[in-house]
Amino acid sequence: MTEAAPTVLEMTHITKRFAGIVANDDISFDLRQGEVHALLGENGAGKSTLMNILYGLYHPDEGEIKIAGKQVQLGSPSAAIDAGVGMVHQHFMLIPVMTVAENIVLGHEPRHADLFLDIGEANERVREISDRFGLTVDPKARIQDITVGQQQRVEILKALHRNADILVLDEPTAVLTPQEAGELFGIVRGLTEQGKSIIFISHKLNEVAEIADRITVLRRGKLIDTIPAAGATEESLATLMVGREVTLRVDKSPSNPTDTLLEVRDLHVFDDRGIEKVRGISLDIRAGEIVGLAGIDGNGQTELIDAMTGLRRAASGSVKVAGKDVTTATAYGHFEAGLGHIPEDRQRRGLVLEFSIAENIALHDYRRAPDSRFGWLFPARLLERGARLIKEYDVRGGGPQTRAGGLSGGNQQKVVLAREIDRNPQALIAAQPTRGLDVGAIEFVHRRLVEERDEGRAILLVSLELEEILSLSDRILVIYEGEIVGEFPPWATEEELGVAMTGGGRGEEAA
Amino acid sequence: MTSTALPIAARAPRGLRSVAWIGIALGLVGLWIALPPISVRSWVWSFVLCLIAIMLGIGVLIRGERRFGSFAIASGVLGFGVGYLATLSGLGKLETVVVWSALIASTLRFATPLIFAAIGGVFSERSGVTNIGLEGMMLIGAFFGILGADKLGTWWLGLLTAIVAGGLTALLHAVLSIQLRADQIIGGTAINFLALGLTGYLYVDIYGAQGTPNDIPGIPSVHIGFLDRFSFLDVVLGDLNLMIWVALILIPLSWIFLFKTPLGLRIRAVGEHPRAADTVGLSVYRIRYSAVVLSGMLAACGGAYLSIGFLDSFNENMTAGRGFIALAAVIFGNWRPFGAAAACVLFGFSSALAQRLPEYSGSAAVLFQALPYVLTLIAVAGVVGRSIPPAAVGRPYRKS
Amino acid sequence: MSDLDQPPAGAPQDPSGLGPGVRQSMLERYDVAAKAGGLLAPVLTALLAFAVGGLVVIITTGKNPLATYRAIFEGAGFNWLLPWVQGTERQAAAFNMQQTLIITTTLVLTGLAVAFAFRCGLFNIGGQGQYITGAIFAVWIGSSFEGLNPFIHVVFAAAAGALCGALWAGIAGILKATVGAHEVISTIMLNWIAIWIGAFLFGVGGPLQNDRQEFVPVSNDIVEGAKLPVFWGDPVFQGLHIGFFVAIAGLVIYWLILSRTTLGYGVKAVGFNPEAARYGGINVPRNYFLAMAISGAFAGVAGAIDILGWQFRLGTDTVQQATIAFVGIAVALLGRNTAIGVALAALLFGGLLTGTATRNLDPEVFQPELASNLTLLIQGLVVLFVGADVIVLWLMSRMRRKRPA
Repeated sequence: MTEAAPTVLEMTHITKRFAGIVANDDISFDLRQGEVHALLGENGAGKSTLMNILYGLYHPDEGEIKIAGKQVQLGSPSAAIDAGVGMVHQHFMLIPVMTVAENIVLGHEPRHADLFLDIGEANERVREISDRFGLTVDPKARIQDITVGQQQRVEILKALHRNADILVLDEPTAVLTPQEAGELFGIVRGLTEQGKSIIFISHKLNEVAEIADRITVLRRGKLIDTIPAAGATEESLATLMVGREVTLRVDKSPSNPTDTLLEVRDLHVFDDRGIEKVRGISLDIRAGEIVGLAGIDGNGQTELIDAMTGLRRAASGSVKVAGKDVTTATAYGHFEAGLGHIPEDRQRRGLVLEFSIAENIALHDYRRAPDSRFGWLFPARLLERGARLIKEYDVRGGGPQTRAGGLSGGNQQKVVLAREIDRNPQALIAAQPTRGLDVGAIEFVHRRLVEERDEGRAILLVSLELEEILSLSDRILVIYEGEIVGEFPPWATEEELGVAMTGGGRGEEAA
Repeated sequence: MTSTALPIAARAPRGLRSVAWIGIALGLVGLWIALPPISVRSWVWSFVLCLIAIMLGIGVLIRGERRFGSFAIASGVLGFGVGYLATLSGLGKLETVVVWSALIASTLRFATPLIFAAIGGVFSERSGVTNIGLEGMMLIGAFFGILGADKLGTWWLGLLTAIVAGGLTALLHAVLSIQLRADQIIGGTAINFLALGLTGYLYVDIYGAQGTPNDIPGIPSVHIGFLDRFSFLDVVLGDLNLMIWVALILIPLSWIFLFKTPLGLRIRAVGEHPRAADTVGLSVYRIRYSAVVLSGMLAACGGAYLSIGFLDSFNENMTAGRGFIALAAVIFGNWRPFGAAAACVLFGFSSALAQRLPEYSGSAAVLFQALPYVLTLIAVAGVVGRSIPPAAVGRPYRKS
Repeated sequence: MSDLDQPPAGAPQDPSGLGPGVRQSMLERYDVAAKAGGLLAPVLTALLAFAVGGLVVIITTGKNPLATYRAIFEGAGFNWLLPWVQGTERQAAAFNMQQTLIITTTLVLTGLAVAFAFRCGLFNIGGQGQYITGAIFAVWIGSSFEGLNPFIHVVFAAAAGALCGALWAGIAGILKATVGAHEVISTIMLNWIAIWIGAFLFGVGGPLQNDRQEFVPVSNDIVEGAKLPVFWGDPVFQGLHIGFFVAIAGLVIYWLILSRTTLGYGVKAVGFNPEAARYGGINVPRNYFLAMAISGAFAGVAGAIDILGWQFRLGTDTVQQATIAFVGIAVALLGRNTAIGVALAALLFGGLLTGTATRNLDPEVFQPELASNLTLLIQGLVVLFVGADVIVLWLMSRMRRKRPA
């Protein structure tokens, strides 16, 4: 970057406390015109809090913000918008049933006769900005009908329509394919060339090194350092971010698969809207192996798991657990046949948060002896088992009568794990088993999954994190648009998988 | 990502809808032939036609086209019920009951309070606030309308009193559900109880045993002189209450407001994705407050029409579940003004029939008072799952 | 940032169009509030409601609300509990107390009808219709089968009432379970349908209308053998009948089902988190149906007990004024859906209803017709303050700050 570029944003000595936690502790941050300044840190490092302060959603307890040299009070998003700040949220703030143009002009609508919405003018404006910045979208398309990459462009256009000079991109590549991410980087460079300044939030080291001019690292609410991107290596950044050397590989012996315990044949599944999301998938998962299923979110993973666990009826095809056909069985029938299921969302699905730990552990088995007999429940037996598993799985934060909702995410996941594994299942489906967990809990879950593999269970691991797939799997399958498009050995590279995940490997027989 | 709904194998094919239309038509024919001027004197014909209608409806419904399937079933039930009763009563009586022009006028009268409340419900629900308190707001409107007209001496001051009182009641609901983030169903139930208690209390306190006086200035009717020449139109439209015309005008107006103005866009945005609206600088609270208060004012208009436009008196709990029927109409009409109004007209027609029948036939006709409620039940059962509510309806919004 | 108020992208939409309903928000809050405040929160709620009700009395009539409440207290016979009340005053108090307990019996059962469904995340405001259908069957069976063994006759009539209430509520349950129709709308519609069915059956010329009095829209009286024995007070002057023990049994059954059976486990799991219940292998639609049916059975028994215990007949006007089941909503909400809470709240509202009845309230203190509407108001206020529990919790936190524990 040119050294002379003026500073457009200065945040100095920002401190923000929430009940008991200091989310931002005396953080100073600045942004120059035309640069990409990356904000790097783990989950919970304070990146989102800092940016929500900049966007007027939170108010700092201490510190001040200057934009273009002038001190500002950002009391609300509209104040931030007026000051020229635009934000592309990680979860898009778009209304699915409305059109691209309606979403972009919302709050700043063009009118005719001062009274009516001028939708023609809105479409025209969108077309004009999208031409100027090279972000092609159809203004009349509904958000729900366009791709995630296009939705992200709409978010960027929304900020540009409000004349944003400072753009905050909150983990923008989390939902994108590697190819779409590449396109995004092109867009970002185009924007900086036109004088826009970008704050790029991420926890992915490689992309930060690729796109950023400067990098600020946060750890546990504190500013660690701000360094130029030139010369920074992934290893040095990782050390800054985590505070110690990180080993992401899991120690495990080579797998020794035997009988097929989980078998899927030519499965077809429709989603709630009647769209075919799983289009003829066949799988064989054998005892003693972990099979990783990689893919971009929304390519049929959810429907596949639902159909394999009895939560959704398959249109055709068959599912067998340990040789037993469970295609038309209920969820309970699947558990009976020897399937364990760690669901992708433990709070929505995996746990009844208001129930105690002991009650949650009994979720599948409360109808059977010894938990109950002839419909009569024995709470003492539930508590007994709860206490045993709490010890065995090192669940911290309460006893068997503690509400599951009061536990931390990692301990909640341990409860789910304890319940599923203690039933001694033949096969185990683990969907995003470490989502949102801290490093310690992730290690626990990973180690436990490998142990269960060595016990001779067949494990299907479905994850959006390629790192997780690569470090745990003995075989890797890639799902794309409801089909398995390739099988890879565990030493495949992220790039190889990335190509397959975007449909690039289709038609070829991958090794 | 996850699914609670029962799996639907595939989208309903187009052809089902045509089959449902045939069912609807058959049901209506079954109704039509039993009534003057045709007046088929055996119930068998209606029975056969309507049975086919119901069977077609069920067939279509289980194949996934719920909305139109339920229309066909409703049409069959209505057709046979009316047809059977018609063949039981004498021809002379029948001709007094079924004067089509009068029946249509009566349908409009019964539909009007529902239309006001339903349009109010559309606004509230579109902004993301469930308004089960419509019933109570109508009742408040009915009482304060008559109170205002009585004490202040003119019908329009009465109407104004009703609107203000309805707006205040809705404001309470808004505070509960928006500010205090109370459960909106519980909050609405509280509003309904409070309205029942308050209007009952004040009614007894102010009017005592005598009831409301007879000389209360009512909302006038609009007499359209030149229609005298066309006898049919004259009976239908010639002498309708002012509020009926207001309701009819309100339907397109509210459609334009909701779908063609910036404010309408904002209301819908807040109901679909409040955080998205918040992040572009809109005030979710302010928009929701306005929409809920507006819904209360409209519901109160409906109530005031009942008391000072239609019946010229007040009774305790006189709204008799109309607020809930209006709410069902909102769902049935897919959260759109025209759809909701059409559903109101359907319910209004069944009320008009039910109202006219018992005067001329035997005790069984009392059962027809239940017709609007039965139809509502069928409608709600048949339509849900196929119509898509605003995504954030019923969820309190918490500013972060 | 909290994502809780937002459905995650692509989350299933609640098809009913009335939002997530009671299950997510209320049940969670109850859980927290119950642990935070114990008895304090409901007591504060009731006090607040009475305070606001008192304000209405002052504003509209200028009378002293405390005197009114005292008159209601005595009208309800609660002074029977005070040992210094003696002589004829005590006799009158005993009689009033019996009346209060008769109504409490009904309220316990209609309260449980709301509470049980609530534990499954359903808001059953159709207690009225279920009560009426239960009463209709009880009066039909009770007035037929003359000469049947009294024990069998009573059990038969009460069971028929329960079954009928269960079926009536079951309609709403099935609609909820299969197509997702919101139970609030469907149960309200079923209420009105039940009312008009009653009007038809007992109306002049209707099939169950009185044989002897041709122009009175009322049923036959039930036969002597079908009447419930009175165990406290004079049977001629409407003493307390043994239905009271049915209510107590109802409370015990309610508690047992919820805390000691697999059925209760399933119902609660569905109520707290239907998605997790489904994942756990619990049949969610079946539990919706069962919860509604069991609720309806409670309300149906309430209707039957009222017929067999003290009303003995059913007329079109009683059907139309059967709002007792609505009070059950306030009872359940104030009682926090627990057995003990329902019992206490039922006693409170039973006293309120008896104390404001025309014959018990001195018109010079307060006009009884007004007072019965005051009861409705207080009932509404209770529901309001339960819904807006934030107010109550805030008050509680204020009280704590003053008295640091």
